[in-house]
Amino acid sequence: MPETRLLLKHSGDAAYRSIQGYMDKGGYAGLKKALSMDRQAVIDEIKASGLRGRGGAGFPTWIKWNGIEKEKTKPHYILCNADEGEPGTFKDKELMENTPHLMIEGMIIAGWATQGDVGYVYIRGEFVDCARAVKKAIDEAYEAGFLGKNIQGTGWNFDMYVHLGAGSYECGEESALMSSLMGERGMPRLKFPHAPLPTVAGLWDCPTVINNVETYACAPYILVNGGEWYATLGASTKNSRGTKIFSVSGHVNRPGNYEIEFGTTLAELLEMAGGMKGGTLKACVPGGSSVPILNAEQTMNAVIGYEEMVDAGSMVGSGGCMFLNEHTCIVTFIWRTALFYARESCGKCTPCREGTAWMEQILDRIRKGGGRMEDIELLKEICSQIDGRSFCGLGDAAAWPVAGALKVFPEEFEYFIRHGHSIVDGPEYRRMAPEPLTPAKV
Amino acid sequence: MAAAANEPQSVILTINDIEIEVPRGELIVESVKRIGLEIPIFCYHSRMKPVGMCRMCLVDVGFKQPDGSVRMMPKPQAGCTLPADNNMVVYTDTEKVRRDRKGVLEFLLINHPLDCPICDRGGECPLQNNTIFYGPSTTRYVEIKRHLPKAFPLSKYVTLDLERCIQCGRCVRFTEEISGDSQLAFRFRGAMMQPSTFELTDFESRFSGNVIEICPVGALTSAEYRFRARPWDLQTKPSICLECSNGCNTWFDYRVASLVRINGRTNEAVNEEWTCDKGKFGQNYLNSPDRLTEVFVRDGDKLIESNWATAFQQVSVAFQSAGSKCAALVGGKASNEDIFMLKRLFTEAFGSNNLDHRWTRCLPKSDALYRVATSIADFENEPVIFVFGNNIAEEQPILFLRIRKAWFRNDAKVIVACPEACEADTFAHTSLRYRPGTEAVLLGAIHRAATGAGGVDIAEASSITGVGEEAIRRAADAMKSGFALAASRSLLDLRNGEHVVGALSNLTIACNSSEKYNLFATSANEEGARQIEFMPSAEGKNTREILEACASGEMKALWLLECDPLSLSHDNELVTKALETVEFLVVQNHIKSECVQFASVLLPACAFSEKDGTYTNLERRVQRIKPIIAAKGSAKPAWKSFGELLLRMKGDPPPFHAHEVMQLIAASHQKFQSAIYENLEGEGVVIPANQSTEPQAVDVEYTAMEVPSNTP
Ligand SMILES: Cc1cc2nc3c(=O)[nH]c(=O)nc-3n(C[C@H](O)[C@H](O)[C@H](O)COP(=O)(O)O)c2cc1C
Ligand code: SF4
Ligand code: SF4
Ligand code: FES
Repeated sequence: MPETRLLLKHSGDAAYRSIQGYMDKGGYAGLKKALSMDRQAVIDEIKASGLRGRGGAGFPTWIKWNGIEKEKTKPHYILCNADEGEPGTFKDKELMENTPHLMIEGMIIAGWATQGDVGYVYIRGEFVDCARAVKKAIDEAYEAGFLGKNIQGTGWNFDMYVHLGAGSYECGEESALMSSLMGERGMPRLKFPHAPLPTVAGLWDCPTVINNVETYACAPYILVNGGEWYATLGASTKNSRGTKIFSVSGHVNRPGNYEIEFGTTLAELLEMAGGMKGGTLKACVPGGSSVPILNAEQTMNAVIGYEEMVDAGSMVGSGGCMFLNEHTCIVTFIWRTALFYARESCGKCTPCREGTAWMEQILDRIRKGGGRMEDIELLKEICSQIDGRSFCGLGDAAAWPVAGALKVFPEEFEYFIRHGHSIVDGPEYRRMAPEPLTPAKV
Repeated sequence: MAAAANEPQSVILTINDIEIEVPRGELIVESVKRIGLEIPIFCYHSRMKPVGMCRMCLVDVGFKQPDGSVRMMPKPQAGCTLPADNNMVVYTDTEKVRRDRKGVLEFLLINHPLDCPICDRGGECPLQNNTIFYGPSTTRYVEIKRHLPKAFPLSKYVTLDLERCIQCGRCVRFTEEISGDSQLAFRFRGAMMQPSTFELTDFESRFSGNVIEICPVGALTSAEYRFRARPWDLQTKPSICLECSNGCNTWFDYRVASLVRINGRTNEAVNEEWTCDKGKFGQNYLNSPDRLTEVFVRDGDKLIESNWATAFQQVSVAFQSAGSKCAALVGGKASNEDIFMLKRLFTEAFGSNNLDHRWTRCLPKSDALYRVATSIADFENEPVIFVFGNNIAEEQPILFLRIRKAWFRNDAKVIVACPEACEADTFAHTSLRYRPGTEAVLLGAIHRAATGAGGVDIAEASSITGVGEEAIRRAADAMKSGFALAASRSLLDLRNGEHVVGALSNLTIACNSSEKYNLFATSANEEGARQIEFMPSAEGKNTREILEACASGEMKALWLLECDPLSLSHDNELVTKALETVEFLVVQNHIKSECVQFASVLLPACAFSEKDGTYTNLERRVQRIKPIIAAKGSAKPAWKSFGELLLRMKGDPPPFHAHEVMQLIAASHQKFQSAIYENLEGEGVVIPANQSTEPQAVDVEYTAMEVPSNTP
C-alpha cells in the first residue's frame, strides 16, 4: 500500500498553518458540523470511526469522551498530550508546526462533545517552535470565534492555553503530565482501580479528557466525512482503523514522517522511506524506543495494526520506527536505550528507580568488555522484576526493550561477553558509541 | 473511589480464601489485618494518604466473575492503595507474591549502604525486618554503589544520611500533609532522587522530630542521638511530656540512669503518635548541671548545703510563726499529687488560704470563663473552628495539628484571628490580623456581624482593628451558625483580658456554641491545679495580692513550688520586691531558677521522670507518669515532703504512695473518682467538667486598649 496522507496532506503547504489557509482547505468544517449536532451524536461518530489513541496505548477514544459526566457539576478539562518524549517519535512536532489548527479543531470538538470549559496543550519543553505555532493558531481561532465566549453562536464557552513542560520524559505519562500541569513535581498519580479515572477526577479532581496530538487531529476528518467512512481505512486489520503517522528514522535513505493506513506492512513503510542505507536490515524498533525490537525476518513479515504488531512480537506504540542496519551493535543500542530510561525514571517507585539504573550499569559493564555470562540471566530477571511491578508505564517501557533484545538477539550479548567486544566491530559501530570504549580485546 | 450514596457501606471480599466483610473503600493493607495477616510496607503510613511508591506491598488480586470463576489481574497490585471492593479476591502469600517482594527488597538493598552495625535504626529498622522475613539472602549486585553525603545537616536537630534513604517519601509527605510546613521535597530524579529542603535551607519546623521516627530506615537521624546508643541497649518506659498543656504521650528511652531520647507514643485521643520538637528535643534539662539535687539553707548571704531534717525544722518554725500570713504559689509542672498535698499542708497545718496557681494579669472570678468543652480529638470533626488570640502552633503545637487535620481531612473552616502572622493562616478560611490591643473591638464587630445586634459597629471596628470589613463579615458568616472556640488563657494576660474573654463567651452564646467554648490552660498541670482548686477561697489572697502583701512586708513567708515568678509574672518589679522583702522564702524546684538567690530554704524536687504521679492536660485528661530513673541526690517528690511535714507538725500519717494521694484527692474532689491509678493505664481518664449553670452573657467593654507604641 502507498502512503495515505490525511493529517499530513497539507503539511508541506505553508499557507495551511494560518487559519485562512486552513479554512480554504476545508478547515473548521468538522467543528461547525459538530456544533450543529447533539453532543452524544459527536461521540457516537467517534465511536463509529473506531479511533484509538495515538499516544501509545491505543485506547478507544470514544470511551474516554463518553466517560465524562453528562450532568455537569464541575469544570471539564480537555488536555492535549503534546509532550512527545518517546525517542524515535517526531510526528506531533510536525503536526503542531505545520498543521496546528487540525489539532486545535479536534480539541474544540472534544470540548463540545464533553461540555468542556478549558483546553490545555501540554507541549514538551524543548518544542519552543511548536509552542509558538500553536499559540499563534490559538490566537487566530479566538479571533475567528472558534474559541472564547459563545462559540459560533452556540452559547458555549471554551478557552485554550499552551503550557510548556520543563523537559522530562515522564511528564508525557498522562497522570504525571497532570501533576506537572498543576505545578507539582512531574510524578505519576494513582490509577484505576486505586483512584478514579481521569474522566471522573483528573486535572484538579475534575473530569478530564486526555488525548495525544494525533488523536485530536483525526477528529475533524471523522466529523466531516463520518465515522463510517473513517472506519473503512484500515479495515483489513483486526481492530485498527484510520491512518497512523510513523516517524521513520535510523539507517534509511529518506527519514521522516510517513502516514499510512493500518494494514500496511513494515516492509512497505521501509520502502516509502527509501529503503535501507549503508547495509542490509538487521533489526527494527517499530513503535518508539519502548517497544520490543524485531529482527529482520519479523520486520519483513509485520503488518501494522495494534493487534497485528503484537502478533509480530512488538507494538505500534507511538509510531517511532527505527530501522537498524547490519552494522548496528544491538548491545550498545540497548545500553543507550537503557541509559535513557535510567536517566528519565522519575524516581517514585523502587523497581523502576533502582532497576533501570542497575540494568544500565550491567549493560555498560558488558559494553566495556567486563560482561559475565550470568549477566544475561540477571538482566532477564531484573526486567521481570520491573515489568508490571512499577508504578507507571515507564518501568514497563524500560524493561521491554532489554527483555526483547535478549530474546531476539541472544547471540549478540553472548558474543560481546565472551569476546569483550561487539559482534559488529567497525566504523559504524564506533560512531554510535557515545564515549570512548575501553580497548576491545581482539 | 467515592461510594455513591445508595451503595451499601460494606463489601465482601476474599483474602487468602477467607471471606470477610469490610467497610467499602478500606485499603487492602488494612483489611488483611482483620484476619491476622500483615502485608510488608515501607511507604504506607496509616495517617497519611497512600502513595504506592515503594511497591513492597504488592499482592495478587482478582475478581470473582458471575459464573463463579476468578479472573486474576495480570499485574500484581499495591495493597496500600487498593480499596476493597465486592467480589475482590486477594492473595498475600503466593509464590508470585513472594518473588515480587524479594525483587523489591533486592532493588532497595543494591544501593543501601548496609552500615547496619553503626546505624541508629539497627534493631528497630523496617528495612532489616522486611529483609529477614521477605528478602533475598544474598545480592546479585556487583556494580559500584551510589555514594552520597552521609551526614547532611537538614537542621540543628535532624541529620540526613542520603545513602540510607530508600526514597519512600514519608518525610516529604509528613511535612505536606501533617505538619503542613512543606519543608521537605524531593530533588533530582530517578536513582538520584533525594529528599531535601527547598534550596537547601534549614529544615525549619516545629515538628521535625517526627520524620526521624517515621523514616523506615536510618536515613533521618537525630543530630543529638546519632551514634549514641544501640536500640537494644536502651530501656524504655512510657511517659508524658510537660512542655505544654497538651500532655503528649512519649516513650522515654534511657540508659545508665540518664535520658537518651524521647519518642512519640501513640494515644489516639491526645497526640495520635506525634510530638513537637520542644517535647522531643527539649528535655535535656533532666541531665543538666543546673538541676537542684541537694537541700540548702541560708546562712547570712550564703546558701549552705544541708539536709531535709534541718530544712523541715526551719520551715515549720517560720511558717508556724507566720500564722496565716503565709502563702504558696505553684507553677505548671507540679503534679496533681504535689499540688493537693501542698494545699493540705497550707490549709491544715498553716491555716492559710493564700494559694494560687494562676499567673495571668487578669484573674476573673467566674469559673465559667475558664471552661473547656471540646476534647482534642473532637476538634478533628468540628466543621467550623475559631482560633483566637495567640499563635496556636506555638502555644499548643499538637492541638494545632488536630485543627489542621480538621481542615486537611474534613474541610473544616478555620477562622484565625491573631495579631501576627502564624502557621494557622496557611489554611485559614479567613485570617483576621488585628492590631494588638484591639481584641475586644474585633470580637464586638464579629458579634455584630454574626447576630446583627450587640457588639460594636463594624465599619468603626474595622478602622480600629485594621481588619477589613469584608473579612469580618466573611468570618462572622462562617461562624454564625456555630463554631468551636480554640483560645488560651494567655489572653488573660491582656490588660483588658477579662473583657476579651467575656467577649468570646458572649460570642459563643450568641452563636449557640457555648458548649463549644474552650479557654485552654497553657502549662502542663495548670488545669489540674484548677480542678484541685489550688486557689484562694473567699478570705484568701490571689497571686497578685500575695505578691503585693509580700512586697509590703505584710506576708511573712512564701512557698514557691516548681515555679519561677520572674519568668511567669508580667510584673517583674513587683516580683523582685516581693521576693526581696518576704522574710522567709522556700523555693522547691527540680532545677535552679533565678529566684534561688532570694531563698531562705532550697528544696530539691524530682523531675517528671523520677517520680510517680498524674498530670491533667488541657482537656482534663488525667495521665500517669511513673518513676523511670532514680532521683538525683537528695531530691524527693514534692508531695512526699509535704506529707512528712504534715506528720511532723500534725502527726497525720503520711501517704506512702502516689496512688494513696490520688485516693485522697478523689475523696475530697469527686470528679477525680474515675482517675484512680488502676484506671489510668492506656489513654488516661478525662474527668468531668465542673457543673456550672448555663453560661450567661457578661457585660463587656468592647474598647481597644492603648498599647505601647513600640509594639509591632
Ligand atoms: C512513560 C510514558 C511516557 C509517555 N509519553 C507520552 C507522550 O510523550 N505523548 C503521548 O501522547 N503519550 C504519552 N504516553 C501515553 C499517555 O500516558 C497516554 O496514554 C496518552 O496521552 C493517551 O492519549 P491517547 O489515548 O490519545 O493515546 C506516555 C506514557 C508513558 C507511560
Ligand atoms: S515506573 Fe516508577 S519510577 Fe519509573 S517513572 Fe513510573 S513511577 Fe517513576
Ligand atoms: S529520608 Fe527516610 S522517610 Fe524520607 S524518603 Fe528517605 S527513607 Fe523515606
Ligand atoms: S507500602 Fe504499598 S507501595 Fe509502599
